[in-house]
Amino acid sequence: MTEATPPPALRRPASSPVVRVLTYSATRLFALFLTVVVGIYLTVLIANMGGHVDLIKRTEVREAVGTAVGMDPVMMALPVEERHRRIAELVAIEEERLGLHRPFFERSVYFTRDALMLRLGFAERMTSDAGSRLVRNIILERLPPTLLLFVSAQILLFVTSVLWALALSRGYGSTMDRIVIALAPTSAAPAWFYGIFLILIFAVVLGVLPFGGMVQAPPPEHPVAYALSVLRHMVLPMTALFLASIFLAVYQWRTFFLIFSSEDYVEVAKAKGLSSRALERRYILRPTLPTIITSFALSMIVAWQGAIILETVFNWPGLGRTLFTAIGHFDTAVIVGITIIYAYLLAVTVFLLDIIYALVDPRVKVGMEGEQ
Amino acid sequence: MNGNQYQSQRPRAAQWVVLLLLIAAALVLPASTMAQGRTGAWVDSIVVLVEPSFPAAVSRLEANDIQVYFMSSVDPAQRDRIGRIPALASDVSYGLFWEVSFNPVGPLYANGTRLNPFAVPRIREAMNWLVNRRHIVDELMGGMGRARWLPINTAFPDYARLADTARRLEITYTHNPDRARTVIAEEMGRLGATMVGGRWQFRGAPVSITFLIRTEDERRAIGDYMAGLLEGVGFTVERRYGTAAVLSPIWMGGPADPAVWKAVTGGWISTTIDRDQADNFNFFYTPRGRPEPLWQAYRPAPAFDTLADRLARSDFTTVAARNRMMAEALEFSVRDGVRTWLAERVPVWPRRAELRLASDLAGGTSGSWLWPYTIRYEGRTGGTVRIGIPNVLVEPWNPIAGSNWIFDLTFIRATQDSATLPDPFTGLWHPQRVERAEVFFRRDLPVSKTLDWVTLRPVPEIRVPAGAFISWDPRAQRFITVGERHPEGLTARTRTVVHFERDLFRNVQWHDGSPLSLGDIMLEWILTFDRAMEGSAIFDPAAVPAFRTFEREFRGFRIISERPLVVEYYTDTFFTDAELIASTAAAAFWPSYAQGPGAWHNLALGIRAEAAKELAFSSAKATSERIEWMSFIAGPSIAILDRHLAASRGENFIPYAPTLGRFITADEARVRWTNLAGWRGARGHFWIGTGAFQLQRVAPVERIVELHRFARFPDPATRWIGFDAPKLAAVAVTGPATVRVGAEAAFDIRVTHAGRPYPPAEIERVRWLLFDARDNLSASADATRVGDVWRAALPTAATDRLVPGASRLEVVVVSRVVAIPSFATASFTVMPR
Repeated sequence: MTEATPPPALRRPASSPVVRVLTYSATRLFALFLTVVVGIYLTVLIANMGGHVDLIKRTEVREAVGTAVGMDPVMMALPVEERHRRIAELVAIEEERLGLHRPFFERSVYFTRDALMLRLGFAERMTSDAGSRLVRNIILERLPPTLLLFVSAQILLFVTSVLWALALSRGYGSTMDRIVIALAPTSAAPAWFYGIFLILIFAVVLGVLPFGGMVQAPPPEHPVAYALSVLRHMVLPMTALFLASIFLAVYQWRTFFLIFSSEDYVEVAKAKGLSSRALERRYILRPTLPTIITSFALSMIVAWQGAIILETVFNWPGLGRTLFTAIGHFDTAVIVGITIIYAYLLAVTVFLLDIIYALVDPRVKVGMEGEQ
Repeated sequence: MNGNQYQSQRPRAAQWVVLLLLIAAALVLPASTMAQGRTGAWVDSIVVLVEPSFPAAVSRLEANDIQVYFMSSVDPAQRDRIGRIPALASDVSYGLFWEVSFNPVGPLYANGTRLNPFAVPRIREAMNWLVNRRHIVDELMGGMGRARWLPINTAFPDYARLADTARRLEITYTHNPDRARTVIAEEMGRLGATMVGGRWQFRGAPVSITFLIRTEDERRAIGDYMAGLLEGVGFTVERRYGTAAVLSPIWMGGPADPAVWKAVTGGWISTTIDRDQADNFNFFYTPRGRPEPLWQAYRPAPAFDTLADRLARSDFTTVAARNRMMAEALEFSVRDGVRTWLAERVPVWPRRAELRLASDLAGGTSGSWLWPYTIRYEGRTGGTVRIGIPNVLVEPWNPIAGSNWIFDLTFIRATQDSATLPDPFTGLWHPQRVERAEVFFRRDLPVSKTLDWVTLRPVPEIRVPAGAFISWDPRAQRFITVGERHPEGLTARTRTVVHFERDLFRNVQWHDGSPLSLGDIMLEWILTFDRAMEGSAIFDPAAVPAFRTFEREFRGFRIISERPLVVEYYTDTFFTDAELIASTAAAAFWPSYAQGPGAWHNLALGIRAEAAKELAFSSAKATSERIEWMSFIAGPSIAILDRHLAASRGENFIPYAPTLGRFITADEARVRWTNLAGWRGARGHFWIGTGAFQLQRVAPVERIVELHRFARFPDPATRWIGFDAPKLAAVAVTGPATVRVGAEAAFDIRVTHAGRPYPPAEIERVRWLLFDARDNLSASADATRVGDVWRAALPTAATDRLVPGASRLEVVVVSRVVAIPSFATASFTVMPR
C-alpha cells in the first residue's frame, strides 16, 4: 500500500499571497457588481410594475389636466373642440416631461445604466425639501436627519445590547436574565407602535416632550439652541427604536455569548484561573468578533433606509418617508437612486467585511489556498 | 380722631379705585385702540408646521400645541371627538361629492352574447329609486354628508336658483325600491333577459356586472352597498376593489368596454364656489365633456344634447331663460342617468374655539382666500397662531409656474394681496384694491350683477380702440397695438373699465419696502405674451396651450390713466356674473401670477436665470432642459439668483428696457435692487408680495414656514371681519294641521339665524312648494313678507288640486349672503271638500 498522492504535473502551483488576494478580490467584486446590476434592474422593473406604471401615469396625467381645465372658467368657456385640443397639448407636454413618449424597455435600460454609474439625474415628480429636482439633493437633504436618528439609535442599541448581554451571560439564570428572557417577545411590536404610546404619555398627557418633528417651530436661530432642540426631539423616537429592539437583541447576544462561554477552551482557561474580564476579552469576544462586526456594519447600513412608519409617526424628515413618497408617486429615479446607493453600500460592506474577517480572525484565509 | 382717621382713609380708598380704573383703562383702551387702528393681519405671526395625521392633529389642538389644522376629515369618530372637547370648534365644507358612473355601451356586446343593462337609460334612471341616499349619508358616512340627486352642488348658487325644480326632482326620485324593481324588470324583459332562481340571465348566462369600487375612502362602503342593491334586484355582481392607480386606467384610461367594467364609484371636487354650473351637463353627460373613451360613448337624447351644448356656450339672452334651460336640463340628467349622484361630503376642519377665521364653503379653511385677513384670537389682537398641515413646501415656490399644491398655495395667498377677493359663502367677487368697475357688454349677452361696485353697461357693439395693446414682439420687446394687428378694426363682446384705488401706488408696498409701481403691472402683461412666444429668450412650450386659450378670446388692453390707475380690458370671454367679468379684468392688471405674487425686480432675476438656461420657471421646461426648477425660497436656485442680483444691482438692470424703461426710472430700479438685496440678506430668500403676511423664514427640511404680519399693509384689520361664519338660515313653518280641498290655507314661515330674525334685506326669496299625497307638485309660489314672518298663502286653485291624505308644504329660503339654501317642511292632512 502506498499513499495516494496526486501526480506532480497535476498539482497547482502555489501562487503568491498578493496574487491570491487580488484574484479573490476581483472575483468577489465582479460577483457583487453582478448582484447589484440584477438587483437594480429588478428594482426598475418592480417599481414600474413591468411597464404598467406607464399606463397609470398616463391616466393620472389625463385626470389631472382634465380637473385643472374643469376648474378654469376661461378654458371651460372655449368651444369643445378647442378645449379638447388644449387638453391634448397639455397632456402631451406632461407625458413628455415624464418620459412617457419613450418605450418603457428603453427607459429601463437607461435607468439601470445611469444608476450603476451613479448618474442619479433628475426626479420625475418629486423635489427635495428645498425644491431641487436632482435626486442627489433629494437624498442628501434627508441623509443627515436619517443618520442622526437611526445611527444614534443603532449605536446606542448595539453597545447597550452587547454589553448587557455579556454581563447576562456571566449571570446565566439570574433574575435579570429571566426578566430579559420574559421581555424578549416585546420586540414583536414595531418601534412606531411604542412611538404612539410614548407620544400619548409624554406629549399628550404629560406635555413634557414634543409631539414630533425634528426641531421646535419656529427653529431656534442659535446653533446651540438648535442642537438642543433637535436632541429633545430625538428622545421619543430613539426611545421607541430602543424599546422595540433592546430585549430581543440582548437575548440573542446573551444566547450567542453563552454558546461560546461553554466551549472547552473557555473551561480550560477558567480552570487555569483567568479573571472573568480576561476570559471575556480573549476567549469570548475575540472569536465572536467577526459576528459582532458584521452585525454592527449591517445595522449601520440598515440605518440608511430609515423607517417609514416611525418617521411618519414622529414626523421625522428621514429617507424612509422619501422612499415611501417616491413609491407612491412611481418616481423611478428616486427609488432607483436610494436603492443603488444602498446596494453599493451593502456590496462594499460585504467586501470589506471579508477583509476585516481575515484581519481579526487568524483562522480565516483569503484566496484559493484558503478554500482548499 | 377715629372719625378723622376714617375720613382721611375714604379719599385714599377712592384714590385707589380711581387708580385701579385708570390702570384698567390704560390696559384696555390701548388694546381696543390698537384693534381699531391696526392694519393688515390681526395676529403678529403664523408658524406653519407639518402634522400628517388627523387624530394626532386633534390631540395637538387639544393640547394647544397648534391652534388650527388646515385639513379636513370625514371620520365620524374624529368629528365626535372634536365635539366632545370644549376647547375645540370646527368648520365644514361642501366641495367633494360621490356618484356611481355607468358604462353605457351596449346593450349587447361580445357578439351579442352578453348584456349590459346600463346601456338602457330607464334602468340607469331606476337606480335613483333603488338607492337610499339617506342610508348612505346617515349610516355609511356617519352623517357627514348631504344627499345629492343632481349634477349641481347643493351648496352652490345654482341649486338655490333652481331650488324648486331640484326639490321636486328629489321628491320624485326619492327611495322607492319597488318602483326600481318594476322598471328594471320591464326593461330586462324587453331586452330578452329572464329571471331564473332570482337571477337575471341572458342566453343562458347570468347578467354579470363588474363593479369597480375605489378603496381609499367612503366609496368602498358605498360601492359595497350599491353592489348589494344590484344583487338584490337579480344581477350577478363581480366586485373589483382598488385604488385610483389600479382602477383609473381601467375606466378612465381604457376603452369603455362593458366586458371589463359596467359601473364604477366616482368622486369629483370643487375647491371654489362655482357660481355657474351650466357647463356641468355638457361635462358629465356628453362626449364633449372629456376626450376619454367613456365620454365618447355617451349618447344623450338629442334634446338634452342640444340643451347641454347651449348651456355650455351660454347661448341664451336672459338669466331667466338660462334658469329655465337649467331646470329642463336637470330633468333630462336624471332620466339620462349615466351617473347616479349619491352624496356630498361634509367634512370638518378643526380649530381652537378661541380662534376665528373665514372658512370657504367649498375649500374649507385652507382653500379660503380670506383666512389671512381674518385669522385672529377672540377678544385680543396680536399673538402667534401655529397652523398644522399635512404637508408644506411640497414643490418649489415661484410665482409664474411654481408649486400648485393647496398646502403651499394657502400660505402663498397669505403673502399676496389681490385686486378682488371671492366671498367664501357665495363665490361672488368683492373689490379689494379696486374702487369700482364698469362692465360694457353686448346687449344680447345675459350678464347680471349682485354687488354695487360693478356697473352694468349694455351696448349694441364694442369696438376696440386702435391704440390698445393686443400682442407683443419678443424680439423688439414692445407691445403690438390693435391698429397694427387689425387695421380693419376689431370688436369685443365685453369691455371692462376698472378704477383702482386712488392712492394705489402710494399705499401698496412690497414686503421689501418698495412701493408698487406701474412697472410691476406692465411686466405681468409682458410675461403673459413673452413666455409663450418662440422668439423670446424665455420661451417655454409649456406656456403655449394656456396662452393660446387666452389669445383666442383676448381683444386688447389700455391704460386710461396712471394716477389714479384706470384701465380698460377687452375680451370675448364673458360670464353671467358681472363681478366675475370685472374681477378677471382687474386681475389682469394686478401683479399676482398663477402661483403667487411677483414684483418686477424679483421676477427679473428669474427671467435672467431662465434666459441663461440656469433655472426654469416651469417644471416641464426644467425637465426638458435638464436644469433646476426655479425656487424663490430655498435650494440651489438661491445661489443662482444671488449672482443675478449682484449683476442686476451692478448694472441697475431694468428688464425689457425698450418697453419697461418708459415705466421704470433708473432711480426706482436703484431703490428696488437695494431693497431686494437687504431683504435677501435678512431673510435668505427672494419671496416678496404685498399681502397681509410676509414670508419671514423657511426651514425646508424641518418643513416649517414662518410668516410675520406685514406692518405696512394698507387696510384696517377689521375690513373682512364679517366673514367668520356663513349666515345659514334656520327655517320653521307653522300652519293648520288639516286643509280642506278647495279651501284657502296659510302657513307662517319664520326665518332666523342664531335665534334672531334673518334680515329681510339679506333674503333673496322664500319659496313654497305644495306636494300632494302622491308626491306630485301641485303648486309653487313665492311667500310674502308679513312683518317678521313670511307667509305662504295657498289659494283655492292650489288646494283644489290636492287629494285627501297626507300632503306637505316644502319651503325653500334663498339667502343673498350665503349660497346654501335652507329648507323646512310642514305636513298636514287634506280633508275632502
